[in-house]
Amino acid sequence: MKAPAARQFQEVNWLGVWTLFRRELHRGLKMWTVSLAAPALRAAMMAGIFALVVASTLDVPLGIDFVAFLLPGLVAAAILERTFETTAFWLVYDKLEGVIGDIVRAPVTAGEIVVAYALSAAASGLLSGAAVYIALIPFGLGVPDSPLLALFFAFSGSLMIGAFSQIAGLWAKKWDHVSAAQTFVFVPFVFLSGVFFPLDRLPPAGQLLIQANPIFYVVDGLRLAVTGSGDADPVIGATVILTLGTVLYAVAYRLFAMGYRIKD
Amino acid sequence: MVRRSVHYPLTIMQTIPTGVQAAAPKVRSLGIINWRGLWTLYLKEVQRFVKVFTQTVAAPVVTTLLFFTIFTVALGGAGRVVGDTSFAVFLAPGLIMMVMMQNAFANTSSSIMISKIQGNIVDVLMPPLSAGELVVAFAAGGVTRGLMVGVTTGAVLALVVPITLYSLWLILFHAVAASLLLSLLGILAGIWADRFDHMSAITNFVIMPFSFLSGTFYSIQRLPEFWQVVALFNPFFYMIDGFRAGFIGSADSSVTVGIFVMLGANLLLLAASYRLLASGYKLKA
Repeated sequence: MKAPAARQFQEVNWLGVWTLFRRELHRGLKMWTVSLAAPALRAAMMAGIFALVVASTLDVPLGIDFVAFLLPGLVAAAILERTFETTAFWLVYDKLEGVIGDIVRAPVTAGEIVVAYALSAAASGLLSGAAVYIALIPFGLGVPDSPLLALFFAFSGSLMIGAFSQIAGLWAKKWDHVSAAQTFVFVPFVFLSGVFFPLDRLPPAGQLLIQANPIFYVVDGLRLAVTGSGDADPVIGATVILTLGTVLYAVAYRLFAMGYRIKD
Repeated sequence: MVRRSVHYPLTIMQTIPTGVQAAAPKVRSLGIINWRGLWTLYLKEVQRFVKVFTQTVAAPVVTTLLFFTIFTVALGGAGRVVGDTSFAVFLAPGLIMMVMMQNAFANTSSSIMISKIQGNIVDVLMPPLSAGELVVAFAAGGVTRGLMVGVTTGAVLALVVPITLYSLWLILFHAVAASLLLSLLGILAGIWADRFDHMSAITNFVIMPFSFLSGTFYSIQRLPEFWQVVALFNPFFYMIDGFRAGFIGSADSSVTVGIFVMLGANLLLLAASYRLLASGYKLKA
């Protein structure tokens, strides 16, 4: 009997990338109550509460009504949150269950792993964002002013966070670590990014601080695309997101290539 | 999960002479209530969350502070008032109560569910502990976590909000009654849920809406009349309303009614969780 011939992959193992992408996306969507329904309900409640509290008394920021101001921010926050949770959560799960070998030993390169994780997390985030978007329509969220720009900021923002999520997932050895990265780094960055309030509500020092927060540019860019008015120049925003995203992916690639905390 | 095995000291084995019948051990008498067992399970429940206090105590405090910040910053600071109370002073007790409720629920529900999934629930079912003792020990663990998180959050919030004190008794009663109520709900949920996503469904679709829509962030007098009536049927509303009355001295509804609702709901849930644990539902084959 002849030994089976070694299987040939081309430059890129497309089948491997596609398989890993599908597995990761499927894992998230299988628990759709957690990944789609819960974020939608939570965002709708936040919108309702804010609408109620604000009622009619608040002065009008940015020339648009406060709730209209808030809604795109809630969508952005939901996209980023889901993206972060997807990869970091499953990487730690795989490590703890000892099945991380499934990707370490598969014939996929570090680059292919990074791409598959990035795209699956972004897809998961965007789907979650779509669910939130639909849930917020009753509160007055309409067709985006510029759908292409909205898609650009949603996608590039979630790709950027996807890289952060990969790094956090590789770094974390236990659930405590992943939840610390989420509670003490990710959530404060999201909450203090201008999701809930316009920049001019803060003193100048606070404004500077928020402008140093990369998530601000995702939220603000999406808001500009949806409502037509934003705080920052979208070109600057896009530059910040793409630059930081590139740096983070370089780090994530290096970590996967050296097998940081996954090849022991 | 590393399970420690029990190593009996060699001396015990050596002191039993070969060929001599050792006296049968006497049945240990526990008394009416197995205090030692109760205390041991309580300690286990407390140490379980204290060991990961960054996740169970520090994290909720940080999240609550963030909520407080965005609500006060977004909603325009000093000008906004609820009745004759400034919005920040109105909001703080509600947030403290909300974080207590969420953590009391999380403690009992996750403890029971994870034990079930990992299979070490037998460690709780096999020892000579009655259903009543189990309920008390689990619930006391949840109440301890609720109060600990509440006190910590309150202490931190007090640094930025001029918190006033109207009646310490009202505060204490509502803090304990609400934590107990949510701990008991957590016991029921933990017994019922078989998987993580069951639990997350209960948290997201029951606990969170009830606590978010309970008047933490607004006075129910702002609601349309229909929703005001609905709010009066939400037990979470009375917890927050009564607790806040302990700080600011005024409530949206009758505090006496609230106290009776708390007592009634707690008795009902005590009975339900006792029945469930006694029947062995989803716990014993």
